[in-house]
Amino acid sequence: MTLRQQLACFAAIAAAQLFSCSRPQPTPSGVVIEIKSPLGLPRLETPADNPPTSETIALGRRLFYEKKLSADGTLSCASCHSPTAGFADPRRFSVGVGGKLGARNAPTVLNAAYSPVQFWDGRSPSLEDQAGGPIANPVEMNMSHDLAVGRLNADPEYVKQFDGAFGPGPITVLKLQRAIASFERTLLSGNSPFDRYFFGGERSAMSPAAIRGLEIFNNAKRGNCSVCHKIGEQNAPFADGKFHNIGAGLNAEGELTDLGRFTQTKDEHDKGAFKTPTLRNIAQTAPYMHDGKQKTLKDVVDFYVGGGNSNPYLDKEMKELKLTGEERADLVAFLEALTGDIPANSGPPK
Amino acid sequence: MIKRLAAAATFLLAAACSPAPETKPADPTADSTAYTEIDPSRAGVVTGKVVFTGKGPVRQKVDFAEDPNCAKLHKGEFFNDAIALNNNGTLANVFIYVKVGLEGKKFRPPTTPATITQKGCWFEPRMLGIEAGQPFHAINADPLTHNIHPRTANSREWNQSQDAGADPLIRKFARAEIMVRIKCNIHPWMKAWVGVTEHPFYAISGNDGTFAIKNLPAGKYTIEAWQEELGTQQQEVTVTAQGTETLSFTYKGE
Ligand code: HEC
Ligand code: HEC
Repeated sequence: MTLRQQLACFAAIAAAQLFSCSRPQPTPSGVVIEIKSPLGLPRLETPADNPPTSETIALGRRLFYEKKLSADGTLSCASCHSPTAGFADPRRFSVGVGGKLGARNAPTVLNAAYSPVQFWDGRSPSLEDQAGGPIANPVEMNMSHDLAVGRLNADPEYVKQFDGAFGPGPITVLKLQRAIASFERTLLSGNSPFDRYFFGGERSAMSPAAIRGLEIFNNAKRGNCSVCHKIGEQNAPFADGKFHNIGAGLNAEGELTDLGRFTQTKDEHDKGAFKTPTLRNIAQTAPYMHDGKQKTLKDVVDFYVGGGNSNPYLDKEMKELKLTGEERADLVAFLEALTGDIPANSGPPK
Repeated sequence: MIKRLAAAATFLLAAACSPAPETKPADPTADSTAYTEIDPSRAGVVTGKVVFTGKGPVRQKVDFAEDPNCAKLHKGEFFNDAIALNNNGTLANVFIYVKVGLEGKKFRPPTTPATITQKGCWFEPRMLGIEAGQPFHAINADPLTHNIHPRTANSREWNQSQDAGADPLIRKFARAEIMVRIKCNIHPWMKAWVGVTEHPFYAISGNDGTFAIKNLPAGKYTIEAWQEELGTQQQEVTVTAQGTETLSFTYKGE
């Protein structure tokens, strides 16, 4: 960098800081509401600077299904997080604008609000940040954002709705991010047969096979699943907010093709480690794993029975499981009992 | 302007969820070993057969209990023949190889793969020979998931699951080892054996009990036969240029 470039850069940063301090935060202007957690889920924490309101949620819902946010008007968030596919993508890899193929399977956004970090590698710290995209190149991004919201600013309907949600003022990316995030916080799914059985005391809510499967899932000497897919006393996230290498995604030569969490931390131990996904609604969100390679829940259970795939960074909790054919089927039955209610007002707005 | 808008919007949507960059280890370096060349005019053949005497083994039925989908791949009963007795009183699947006599020589491993196939929740073949450094391919021809797991002692042990329709797994064995047991972690009844040598002088007895080790340089050798239940036997042999030595190994039943 030349001195001139450095100065220019410094000036840009200073200007950006000034800009962000001199303007009021686009906090929602409406009445703050409480998002009720369904049976089996913990109380939902919401950020102080973006408390949920009916207006931001309704706006976020519209934006979530808004195809205008894509280049050729063909894609919305819902294209890859479809309400008819458990808010995930039934394709192994999502197809972006122009037919571009990603390298990871799109996870569900149901209950993503409980996840301390977003993405398989945790590279996004919040739903707000995630909805806005990566911040690797601030200058480039700011420009992109401005142009993207230009489309919304040109739509009087959106201007009205943003004004109603955040108070009068131009539409900004931050507002868009906050609205989408607030909508996503309503995408909570619980009250599954498992929840009604385990937390609701409804003995007949789960089949005998699923009840046996739960025992295997929880037993450290049998399935050992709950060591990562946590079940608590009051609620069950079926995740631990951590990253583990279970050996998914090795190529034919047995090499890691996606280094996962390592790409963020550069910590050797994180090679091939991915965020433990929730298992709620898992029966609806095939295919499985970050590379979407496993097509059925039986494939997944077989994968775990086999002890995952060996590699130098395999989590020490991964071991060969000695389970009979019936016990394997019981585990699948249990996973199928994790399908919860889909919240009202989560589909495309009228 | 519209185009720029569009590009920006793509960025917002697609980049928001674009995956992180990938990394792949570099290719191993080229092989610079000085290999022994074999002169066929100064080499001979060791041939022979493996005979079985005494009471024949009781055939064991395979119990596919852990995965009912495996049973569906077979009509009727399926047998696990740890002792593969042929109609003519000989044994198949006996691994015969040069155990002593090739010290100090190095042979270039073949580049053609030695392949094991998982079919009907069973390994085919049950006995496979391979050279250290030769590509090892594992194919899943079944409509279900397998997990191939060579229980190596001399090379790094590994296991990897293989979904239906997945590409063949490709590996190598780094060092000689008689025998490597191959298992499937998902289907405990599945078993195969891989004899890993550091030379091409091995054979597996066939459906008629015969075997032949060809193009073996003239010299004195110890030949070993290995059978998974009945153990090993050794014989000394002197191979002459263009000569054929005939051996007979005999295993006794109870
Ligand atoms: C082209 C398909 C596609 C589109 C469009 C898309 N996503 Fe995604 N989404 C993905 C993929 C693939 C991942 C996983 C990427 C990764 O982890 O590296 C993902 C991950 C996420 C996650 C993280 C979930 C978790 O558990 O870590 C959230 C939240 C999310 N997307 C929300 C959105 C929102 C909001 C939009 C619209 C602004 C959107 N997505 C648009 C494919 C898409
Ligand atoms: C060591 C921690 C750990 C243990 C133990 C574990 N899991 Fe997982 N699980 C993960 C991680 C991490 C992933 C995502 C891995 C990836 O995609 O690379 C995952 C993925 C899954 C998925 C696919 C989820 C999706 O959305 O694609 C299912 C289903 C699953 N696990 C079920 C189980 C079951 C059943 C068990 C017990 C037999 C189990 N897990 C044991 C950490 C664990």
